[in-house]
Amino acid sequence: MPAPITISLPPAPPAHALRQALLADRERALTRLYRQAFPAVRRLVQRQGGSAHDAQDVFQDALVVFYEQAVGGALVLTASASTYLVGIARHRWQHELRRRARLPAETLPDDDAHLAAEEPEAAPEPAFAVLDYVERPGAKCKEVLLSFYYFQQPLAQIAVAHGYRSVRSATVQKFKCLERLRASVRAAFRAETIEY
Amino acid sequence: MRPALERLHLIEQQLLNDPAALPAADWHLRQLLDSELATDTAAQQQLYHGLRRAGRQQLRHELRHELRQIHARLYGGHWAWLRRLWPM
Repeated sequence: MPAPITISLPPAPPAHALRQALLADRERALTRLYRQAFPAVRRLVQRQGGSAHDAQDVFQDALVVFYEQAVGGALVLTASASTYLVGIARHRWQHELRRRARLPAETLPDDDAHLAAEEPEAAPEPAFAVLDYVERPGAKCKEVLLSFYYFQQPLAQIAVAHGYRSVRSATVQKFKCLERLRASVRAAFRAETIEY
Repeated sequence: MRPALERLHLIEQQLLNDPAALPAADWHLRQLLDSELATDTAAQQQLYHGLRRAGRQQLRHELRHELRQIHARLYGGHWAWLRRLWPM
């Protein structure tokens, strides 16, 4: 009798498994990464004259960048996730040390602006910031638009979350919201053009 | 849907590479016949870009809040006290 043929599927790539873990239970996956990688980052930062608070800031910035890469499918892991995370944090801390050498009185900024360097923007900067007008169509519209266009939730899920009777209703509502956003941006653009 | 919404839908299909998007040659022909289509498409592309930025901003805000809580849970309270005794 011939031996039974067994087919072994290759294991999922680590970045893929990590992405699934972050999407399935974000808090649990982040806690695990935090526990694995933060002590090394704290030692690194404190050895180089930083405070515990600096270590926390640098590490959390790194974890935000790491999360976006992992969930966005842009992460390619050639080492363990914690090694990669410590690498991002090290890079950020070196960057911060150089910045402090130039501007010694300042500490790490609280806003997100300093994270921008980590992420190359695929599209060019719009002529004016749509970002400023996203709030205008109303909170519910903003949620629907971000759920679909950024968080890539299926319309069926959006329909349930926002109490629409069907996917069709959610689709129509999404386009109405997009239309309102476009109208706000256009009105603002017209006003700016007239001012000049 | 109203014609204005149908137009947004049509442009979206092209921009987001929906399976229902028109073949490139058909889309090009439409742009030749409809002088405002290219401008509207560029404007809609900017809306998507702005929405992605707004989403990223919101995500970062949520993540920072979660990470502060995780840090407090892992390293606050009696852990902080223990660490002062035995620095790691």
